[in-house]
Amino acid sequence: MTERLIRVRDRRTIALHWFNAACWALLLASGFGIISGDDVRLAPAFWPGLVQNLAGGNAPVVSFHGVLGMVWAASILAFALFNLRRVVRPFLAEVLVLTPVTAWRDLRFTTVTLLRLFGLAKNAELPPQGRYNGAQRLLGTLIVLGSVLIALSGAYLFLAPKLLPFAANPLYGELFRWALMVHAGTVFAVLTGLIPHIYFAVVEEREALESMKSGQLPVDFIRHHNPLWYEELHRSGKI
Amino acid sequence: MTKKYVMLADATRCINCKACVIACRAEWGTPLGHSRDWVREVEMEGPGGMPDLMLLPGRCQHCDDAPCVESCPSGAAYQREDGVVLVDHELCSGCELCVPACPYDARFLNPETGTVSKCTFCQPRIDAGQPPACVGTCVGRALVFGDANDPASEVSRLLQEKEWLRLTSDGVNVGPNHYYHTGGRPLPPEALPKPTTPHVQGRLLEEVVNPLAGAGLLGMAGVFVAAGMKKLLDRRSEVQRQEGGHHD
Repeated sequence: MTERLIRVRDRRTIALHWFNAACWALLLASGFGIISGDDVRLAPAFWPGLVQNLAGGNAPVVSFHGVLGMVWAASILAFALFNLRRVVRPFLAEVLVLTPVTAWRDLRFTTVTLLRLFGLAKNAELPPQGRYNGAQRLLGTLIVLGSVLIALSGAYLFLAPKLLPFAANPLYGELFRWALMVHAGTVFAVLTGLIPHIYFAVVEEREALESMKSGQLPVDFIRHHNPLWYEELHRSGKI
Repeated sequence: MTKKYVMLADATRCINCKACVIACRAEWGTPLGHSRDWVREVEMEGPGGMPDLMLLPGRCQHCDDAPCVESCPSGAAYQREDGVVLVDHELCSGCELCVPACPYDARFLNPETGTVSKCTFCQPRIDAGQPPACVGTCVGRALVFGDANDPASEVSRLLQEKEWLRLTSDGVNVGPNHYYHTGGRPLPPEALPKPTTPHVQGRLLEEVVNPLAGAGLLGMAGVFVAAGMKKLLDRRSEVQRQEGGHHD
């Protein structure tokens, strides 16, 4: 018997996800290749040397990283503006964790889910989840807010030295140094969150990964993992 | 053999004429209020309790473990194989993370270029076989520049003939390649480098962000590798159990 599938995301959203993933891979590879100073280096020592040798110096790496970063930010901004009502607003309404109560609730869900991977906390009760579960909401919030910070700090790091007279006002350099710290810190925070994201997609919930290719999810998967969403789809007649 | 450029400054020959400073500023067109080299005057007690003055011509010390290179986020500060520490102005953002990292206060933000400036041992001149501008103009021949790896060079000969000191202290020894001859007198403590205080953002990157990031990434990766292993083992046990049941 074939399992019932339902379309849950369109081609544009899927394309944006994989575009975002490809940009992240290239931006991480090039970004970690820029900083070679031992005191501030973000990657093992061999990496900046390898990247800069392949690119023929650090200037091309900086340019590639800066231009790709701006293309990445502009593309996501354009997608957000053109799909504000249909995709972005519903997504943000579902995913953003903005109050301490919801943060605590989602943190508890995440902890119990993590413990269950190791056969623990089997008897802990978890509330039924909507389209995004607690862990996905926390990661989604981290990625959304982190992306804004990364884009803004990155734009300043790339453009400010070209546009602002740093010697005329010490504030420009001060902001540059803070932007560097925020940029690096936020990238690491999001990168840490991407590890469970990739693990669940590849190991635990292959259906979710499949849906990021075909756009479809099995109805049974939704009923089991996201009962509130299932009810919502049922009420609206989509199932 | 790779060259190893060093600068020798004979404090007993310096007369504080500052011809070196003028030559440097003329060579590099440094803006008003800034200079790539200097002559430091240190008052001290001389023989017989008489007041004395030690003159220490100074500039970037082109250190072996250059802290400016280690603190530069863009790769603009770099060191050539011959030991000369340079700034790639195309890459320099002017963020000044390197400026307080230098224990010799040899770097400054050039208001005309918006990038960091410092002594380069007159790199274009030395690459063309000429001496640095300060050396070429030194009235008392207090400054001598050359390749310490060339046994026939004047610096090699002088390094063997005289006693030379470097500006290092208990807290700061980054391998400076600038030597001083003081005629047997010790370098005055006020001339020695003090531990530097880097910008707070540089310290946060080095001491908080990077260690936390390393621990976070490794910890998270470790947790999910362990989770994957457990899933694999559980699956294997399940298959064995099913196969056992099937055979029964």
